[in-house]
Amino acid sequence: MAHKIKYQHKFKIKGGDFVRAGEPSCEIRNIMREIGIGPDIIRRVAIAAYEAEMNVVMYADNGTITFTATPKEVIIAVDDTGSGIPDINLAMQPGYSTATQEMREMGFGAGMGLPNIKRNADIFEIYSIIGKGTFLKIIFKLNGKKN
Amino acid sequence: MVKKTKLLHAISVRIHKKKCIGCVRCMRSCPTKAIRVKGGIAVINTQRCIDCGECLRVCPCHAVIPLTTSSTDIGKYKWNVALPSPVLYSQFEQHVMPHQILSALEQLDFDYVYDEALMCEMTSRAIEEYLDDHKEPRPVISSTCPVVVRLIQRLFPSLCGLIVPIEPPREIAAKNLRKEIAKKRNIKQTDIGIFHITPCSAKMVSINSPETMTESYLNGALSIRQLYNDIMKKLRKQKTPTMLGTQSSVSGIGIGWAIGGGEIRGLKYVHSVAVSGVYDTISILEDVEAGRLKNIEYLECMICPDGCVGGPLTVENRFIAKSNILRLIKIIGGKKRIDVHFVKKLYKEKFFSFEHSIRPKPFPGLNEDRIQAIEALNKKERILKKLPGMDCGACGAPDCRTFAEDIVRYEANLNSCVFLKGEKYDSKKIPAR
Repeated sequence: MAHKIKYQHKFKIKGGDFVRAGEPSCEIRNIMREIGIGPDIIRRVAIAAYEAEMNVVMYADNGTITFTATPKEVIIAVDDTGSGIPDINLAMQPGYSTATQEMREMGFGAGMGLPNIKRNADIFEIYSIIGKGTFLKIIFKLNGKKN
Repeated sequence: MVKKTKLLHAISVRIHKKKCIGCVRCMRSCPTKAIRVKGGIAVINTQRCIDCGECLRVCPCHAVIPLTTSSTDIGKYKWNVALPSPVLYSQFEQHVMPHQILSALEQLDFDYVYDEALMCEMTSRAIEEYLDDHKEPRPVISSTCPVVVRLIQRLFPSLCGLIVPIEPPREIAAKNLRKEIAKKRNIKQTDIGIFHITPCSAKMVSINSPETMTESYLNGALSIRQLYNDIMKKLRKQKTPTMLGTQSSVSGIGIGWAIGGGEIRGLKYVHSVAVSGVYDTISILEDVEAGRLKNIEYLECMICPDGCVGGPLTVENRFIAKSNILRLIKIIGGKKRIDVHFVKKLYKEKFFSFEHSIRPKPFPGLNEDRIQAIEALNKKERILKKLPGMDCGACGAPDCRTFAEDIVRYEANLNSCVFLKGEKYDSKKIPAR
């Protein structure tokens, strides 16, 4: 059955690991090329996956990114254990950031992470529990906006 | 408009079957995994090759032959023009100045020699005009290296729109020369042969199958390596004592284009970055694609290490060559040699512009049908689990991952793996997930 066909790959991310940051989103891009997904969708997923990954690296203790491709959509699910987001509406505002001075010096923390993910996604969901962690579900439709 | 010998495949190298020993070095060095070793001989997949020349560098048997124009082809035209890359100035002894090299070149079979460096300086100015006019998107990426253009089309197709739509200096120079010479000498444009003197064979592909115009303004490209000895001989015969660049009309800003960072040196936009080498270029383009470098104005990418002086068809060691260029810049100076208003006028007339934009040409996925591609991807991962993961290359593919990909594309057989030999190929044996 066509709707059961999917490809899934899980990546582990460690909070604070800036050295290996970017590797999962790079791998995700390679996978999408092999599936033959159009360049513009690849670019949108690449941007969103990288931002999501950096959020885990910067603010969480541990996390996973699960990449799922079906014939109709690409889903990036990000699950982390960490402090969680106290006010999601505030976090979604462009320019709002809780990044430390150190992170800003490294060129991160412009407060565009979550807004950027939302802008590139077709469907964006975010849940967070303070003291536990955050969950993101980012969906890209493959047939709607073709190229 | 311009006649030229077409190659069967638009690719800049071929494998000499008798010289090739099937040692897998080229296969391993290929950044796009375009090479396989079949029956003890390297075979290049022309669809995947981006003409970076890495195979040319590593081959220990000189079995990778660059397909540049042969000297005999020059005889086809009534009037021949040499258009040397500024890299040529870095290839001889320290005291040899550009104008001596140009005059030695003219004494070979050329009727006229034009210093490309001057056009490089003009192009720098045109790029600046473009950046002034277009404040976004960023970063704008250089169009000079034909391999970078191909790499973007193939691996980063979504970035095609970021490439600056300005032809590289060699094409603009040839366009201008053909018109001017035909007028001045009263000869047909088709009787003029314009040849680039090149540090790499990739230019051959941009001449034979250009990406941004119907036909290239150049008729061919001869490598620096091909002409080196002849130029040397002429240089030795030159009687005039060495003049220290006073009479040279070449441009200091333009000469800089021979080395990595040379293109951005002439720009007023300081938030520019220069990258060279194939793997560093790929990695910076990954950053661009992930939207990380929007604060950078201009991105110069050169496939060869240290820029064009690191081209595979040069003679001098690239570090020495780079030092030679830096010394020439010091002597000739960074002073602007061009008329800014004239360049502005030409820019407005679209003299520098692409005929048409660069089209994305992504590598095909595992299958045209998305459902089958996803299934193939799952199968590939199952096969990969069975493979030893040593990336030995004995199967004829560069690494286990690519081998698994070849199998799901029906281009290879699991039996080719020396570790699994003896185990009969049985798709049921591939572990289920």
